[in-house]
This record gives sequence, structure tokens and C-alpha cells, in this order.
Amino acid sequence: SIMPSYKLTYFDGRARAEVARQILYLADIPFEDVRISLHDWPSLKSTTPFGQMPLLEVDGQSLPQSFAIFRYLAKQFGFSGDSPFESAWVDALADQHADYFREILPVLLTIWGFTQGDRMALVKEVATPARDKYFPLLEKIAKDNGLNGHFVGDSLTWVDLLIAEHVGSINQHLPGFLSAYPSVIKTVNKITSTPRLKEWIEKRKETTF
Amino acid sequence: PVSLLAMPSYKLNYFDARGLGEVSRQLFILSGTPYEDNRIPKDQWPALKEKYGFGTLPVLEVDGKQIPQSLAIARYLAKEFGFYGANAFEAAWVDALADQAKDFLSEMRPYFVIAMGMAEGDKDKAKAEIALPAIKKHFDLFEKAAKDNGSNGHFVGSKLSYVDILISEFVFSIDSFMPGSFDAFPTVLAVRAKVTSIPAIKEWIEKRPKTVT
Repeated sequence: SIMPSYKLTYFDGRARAEVARQILYLADIPFEDVRISLHDWPSLKSTTPFGQMPLLEVDGQSLPQSFAIFRYLAKQFGFSGDSPFESAWVDALADQHADYFREILPVLLTIWGFTQGDRMALVKEVATPARDKYFPLLEKIAKDNGLNGHFVGDSLTWVDLLIAEHVGSINQHLPGFLSAYPSVIKTVNKITSTPRLKEWIEKRKETTF
Repeated sequence: PVSLLAMPSYKLNYFDARGLGEVSRQLFILSGTPYEDNRIPKDQWPALKEKYGFGTLPVLEVDGKQIPQSLAIARYLAKEFGFYGANAFEAAWVDALADQAKDFLSEMRPYFVIAMGMAEGDKDKAKAEIALPAIKKHFDLFEKAAKDNGSNGHFVGSKLSYVDILISEFVFSIDSFMPGSFDAFPTVLAVRAKVTSIPAIKEWIEKRPKTVT
């Protein structure tokens, strides 16, 4: 059967699109990796369904919202868990991660240079409590799952990619920030040493976010 | 017909509220699936918190195995019972709208805490500066989605999906705080009218516990 064409549109960074790029690359599916500058975005905004990016187009049909995109691609290409129950846990952990990410985002936006702010104060007063609320849970999940290199089940899922990408971003800008969570770090290291993912990470363009 | 013995036992644990649990309750009702509607009193919650993996509610138990997070639960049940679009791409759009609705709730939270007296603030100011812009921003999108879908009483495709229920419930809840908030979104209101006209749902809404949220 003829494969659909895939086009992913986002800013020139990893943030909310990287997991989609990784799924497509892991599945060896060619895709158009479109990166929009901050300057060009305002005029494009109204052409998108939700005025947001990332945007996936499948044979020209648009799909917004990062997690909907990740879940759709994961389902197509086998990265959404090995049973409905496991898929539910992948979804649940991703949503828990999103709750944490929403809290830490103001800090990241300052670190990435999008907003002004007192970086040290934000790390101390916002990022640290957010981390301390969420990462113990993640540490326990990694251990309870047998430290097998996955957060859910025993095969690579999109929530593995989501968490690994975030940990990578934190390590890039706040080295040592997650040193109290060795099981999380160990799990992330196993995820990123998946051969084809390692290859993608090594050859991708380096970006601030 | 599926043997009752083969069907899993379902228990939905949540507070005595509609909130994030209601969409799942309605999925059980629509599918005619028996479930235990376990409503935990607020004062009992602190002692029970550690029983639940993420320390939050709702939690669904399927033959005693837990699934946390409201939308993960809704998606699981929607998939089991057939309220998740007719194909993978429709399912993705159902998910996209549901996540957008969740983003809407996040933006409304600062207004809710003031309106419900849980934080200091000028209620009218919060309504004007927080609630009304959030409603406009998100419901313009939902109105467009419903229209682009053919104004057929659904947000996606031609059958009821869990996002029809989810957004309908948000409309009901917010309208109870701010009547008329959705008058500018008639196609969204038509989705709600269609959901609530289903006899099993109509009956449930009439008899369900009356809670503030």
C-alpha cells in the first residue's frame, strides 16, 4: 500500500515537536521537517487549526496538539504500549509529565531566552518545587518497572521519548539538577542508547530548546 | 452477547463531584456497563491518598488494577466501548480537542479559585481578565471544529465520541457559574443538546448527585 506523506511544522527547536520527529525516524518513515522562525510564525498562525504548533499533516490533513500527534504516530508505528492497559499507563504518565511541565515551563522559557526573568530565583522558587513533586514519582515508576530501560512495559513507548527528551533539555541547561534521581537517569540513558535514536540525537542540529 | 463473567469489574474512584470524573461515568452509562461509582468524601482523602499511584483522583480500577489521570481513563474506556472516532485520524482529532479543552481548564483555574472563594481576588475582575478571554480563545476553536465537522452535533466524525461529553460537561459547569457564557457558540451548544438528549444521559443528569463542580 502507498504510504501517506508526513509533514511536521514547528519552531526551529526540539521542545514540543521532538518526540514526533523521533518516532518517525525510529520507524524509518520519511517526513518533511519544517522549521518556522519566530519572525514568520505570526503570519502563519491563522492558517493552523488551533493557532499553535506543532502541526502534523498526513496527506495534507492537519492535526494539532503535540500529544495527539505523538499518540497518533506512536499507534501507527508501534510505540504506544503492548496492550490497552499499557497504553492507558503511557497516556497517564504523559499527562502527569505534562502537569509537571506546565509548572516548570516559565523557568524554561526564561532559560531558553524567550522571557525575561531572574533565572536563579526561578530555579529555586519554581523549578525546584515542581521537580521535587514529580521526580520522586518517576523514580519509583522506573524502579517498579524493573529498571528495564522503560517507564511503562518492556518496549519503547512515546512516553519514554517524552521524558528522555525533557531530561536531556534539563541536563543541557541545569546540569546536576536531577542527580537525586539515579533510576530516572539510568532509564533515560538506556532509552537514548537505542541505536536508531542515538543516531538521530548525534546527527540532529543543536538547538537551545 | 458478552458473558457477564468475562467482563472486567470496574470501579471509578473520585470525589463527590462531576469535575474530571464525569466524562468516564457517562461512558459507562452510555455503554450500559455496570461500574462502582466510588465517591470519596474530601475529609477521607488525605488518609487514602497513598493508596493511589499518583496521589490524585480520579483513578479507575479494572479488576483491581489502577489507571490514574482523568483523560487516560476516558481514552481507555472510550476505546473499550467505541466512543473514540471511526478511525485512527478521527481518534487523533478527538484527542487534540480533548487536550485543547484541558488547556482551557488550566487557563480558567485562576478564575475558578477566586470564584469559588479559595483565593483572594476580585471576582468581576477575574471574570473579565481571565475567564472571558479564555472562553473566547478556546470556544472559537471548538465552534469552528463543530462547524467544520458539518454541524452534525459532534465535534469529530458522525458518532458520539468522548470529547463531545467532555466539552458538554465543561459548558454545563461554567454556565452554572456564569450563565450565558456560551451563547456566542451555538454549534457547541448543539453538541451539548445532542449529548444530553440521549435517554440514558438525560436520565443520569436528572438523577446524579447535585454538586457544585
